[in-house]
Amino acid sequence: MPANLVNFIQVLRSHDVRVSPAETLDAMHVATTLGYRDRVRLRDGLGMALAKTPAEETVFNRCFDSYFNRGLADFSLDPEDNPGEEQAEAGEQEPGDAAEADPSTSDAAALEAAALNNPELAAVMNSDLMQALLNNDRNVLTMAMTQAGEGAGLQQIQMFTQKGQYTRKMLDAMGEQQLRGAIIELERAADPALASLQRYRDLLREQVRDFVDREYLLHAEGRNQQFMEDVLSKTRLSNIEHSYLHRVHELVRKMARKLAARHARKRRQYRRGHLDMPRTMRRGIANDGVMFNTYWRQVKREKPQLLAICDVSGSVAAYAKFLLLFLYSLQDVLPKVRSFAFSGQLGEVSDLFDEHPVEKAIEIVNWKYGGATDYGKSLEDFARLALDDINNNTTVLILGDARNNNGDPRIDIMRSVYQRAKQVIWLNPESRRAWGTGDSEMFRYLSACHFSAECNNLKQLERVVDQLLKSTR
Amino acid sequence: MHTQDFPQLASVEKIQEGFESFGYICSDKIATAVFLAFQLRKPILVEGPPGVGKTELAKTTAQLLETPLIRLQCYEGLDEAKALYEWKYGKQLLYTQVLKEKLGDLLQGAQGLAESVERLHQFGDIFYSEEFLEPRPLLKAMQQERGAILLIDEVDKSDYEFESLLLEILSDYQISIPEIGTVKARTSPMVFLTSNNTRDISDALKRRCLHLYIPFPTVELEERIVRSRVPDVEEHLRHQLVEFVHSLRQLDLKKIPAISETIDWARSLLLLHADQLEEELVRATLNVLLKFEDDIESTDGELGKLVREARE
Repeated sequence: MPANLVNFIQVLRSHDVRVSPAETLDAMHVATTLGYRDRVRLRDGLGMALAKTPAEETVFNRCFDSYFNRGLADFSLDPEDNPGEEQAEAGEQEPGDAAEADPSTSDAAALEAAALNNPELAAVMNSDLMQALLNNDRNVLTMAMTQAGEGAGLQQIQMFTQKGQYTRKMLDAMGEQQLRGAIIELERAADPALASLQRYRDLLREQVRDFVDREYLLHAEGRNQQFMEDVLSKTRLSNIEHSYLHRVHELVRKMARKLAARHARKRRQYRRGHLDMPRTMRRGIANDGVMFNTYWRQVKREKPQLLAICDVSGSVAAYAKFLLLFLYSLQDVLPKVRSFAFSGQLGEVSDLFDEHPVEKAIEIVNWKYGGATDYGKSLEDFARLALDDINNNTTVLILGDARNNNGDPRIDIMRSVYQRAKQVIWLNPESRRAWGTGDSEMFRYLSACHFSAECNNLKQLERVVDQLLKSTR
Repeated sequence: MHTQDFPQLASVEKIQEGFESFGYICSDKIATAVFLAFQLRKPILVEGPPGVGKTELAKTTAQLLETPLIRLQCYEGLDEAKALYEWKYGKQLLYTQVLKEKLGDLLQGAQGLAESVERLHQFGDIFYSEEFLEPRPLLKAMQQERGAILLIDEVDKSDYEFESLLLEILSDYQISIPEIGTVKARTSPMVFLTSNNTRDISDALKRRCLHLYIPFPTVELEERIVRSRVPDVEEHLRHQLVEFVHSLRQLDLKKIPAISETIDWARSLLLLHADQLEEELVRATLNVLLKFEDDIESTDGELGKLVREARE
């Protein structure tokens, strides 16, 4: 059982439930304390030790059910269990056979009769596998399947194209070969028992195939999801197909949570500060040396400010969307964000984000400010709106491709922003090689930036925001 | 706490029965959590919407075990001086003043400063000893001879730093006091933490706890709860009112009525001698269930339909 539990925890991890080694130990204790008799109770108990949020709990329950609730495979040939096809099949082959009460016993009987004058078939009949099939011994067969699955390394299955291969391996491990041999023999001899034996073989194959299907869902699904996320985070944001967008949103949120966890704690550290001993003693002199009042050396907290300016014209809109999504998912950790959007002209959009949920706000921004780009005009607007508020605690974050349609770039405004602000960061979705080509003013703007980065997929975006969080603190 | 001292906690069924005798009707899952927490000596982190009986669970466990319940209500700005211990500054100050005279006697005959200081060193840190220690809830829970139930209520309201403060206590049941050393629990207490999910609890804290999520109860369970709390309500009225509350929970409300509201409502219906739900009656008493004017207004149009459904 412990090995089984460890395997199960691997499955949980692949489904994005974080389980630490300490929690694995807890789960072991839970299992020994509760025992294995009451499945629901065991599930509840393990859930308490392993799943730590309601979301994780649903994942846990689903995984638990598909992992442990495999049930025993059903190998009976009884028409009660799967009526339709079985009876139809029997009816087609021998019309008289349908009248008989129990085809499975008749199959067994036919095989036994055939085995009497066929020593090879008799040997097959006496094999463990065939005996179990004949008696519909579900325990033995399920055990055999599980063992064969372990032997074939079924837990490593990754692609659905591998299903056939694993099914074959498992069947071989269970000794299906012998069965196959016997069928070929019977075919050659045109023995009437052939159909019966074939039926047993098909049943076996079907069960093993089902088993592989279930394992595939369990092991590969989570892994594929991780793979997908990995791919998405490295794809250019403008290339991501529309149908994957909701996944990207989730991914951004996940990354934002990670960053928030990394940075949240440190920012709150210096609130009260340390005891100011010299001052406390000095003031104590007045009270005959009794230190009656305590004084604290308070750390003056800077109030950093972040101004995000996003180009929302067609070429850059996709990137702006994700940058904004990132920034607003990090609201708890980041200093107060003011955001501006521009293409032809510029306007402040912070209020939109207060009033609407992030996705909705981004839509409105795109709709309101999208159009042909004019950096010069937009910078003028920006200077009018916010230049006075920029001081040495301000970080200005600009996202744009710096393609100004050959207009005046107004580098002078950028310079004054640069001189006032603590730092100016320019993110450009174009690759570095394209900077400065054609109507791109990137190199001229670079002279007024502290830091610039190429930024066109989530990984890069995450890195930049991480940097930002470090430096704005 | 050991199993032999508390036969009430010997099995999941016993816990359920015990809770029931105190009027706390709980699902199998909740009882399992308490059982595991006791057997594995782990704290439970209880989450769930307000009013589903998170705090009540700790209280009832204390009643069942007949141990003291020590409660720490969390809030923003809670620090170790309020949660762990504090030095009795006043007493320290008073004692220094009183003992000032004694100082002359002690130092009599000492040659020079060095010897005086040497003598003073012999007396140890009397002012930082247990006599001057003011225990706060967490330390108090460690000091209980027969163990205790420690309830750390609404832990999500405290700051991140406070969470890290809890880590040592929750995993080893001990507190480090720099001036004295480590205080180990005489009997490790059973710890319940509750959270309303206003913010994420840190992973480190979650890792040390069993996680129990209490959702709103099913109709059957809630009927049993109402029966045990308000036994005088007749069966068909009880069924109707629970059904009504359940359909109310499906609506978009600012504050969804919890179990405590269902109980209050059952009590008020009993006082009004209602024998079944009527639309007018429900409208008149709706403020027991819904605590926001907006909610009451928005449900007003649907009351008739909801009442009819509940009566079916």
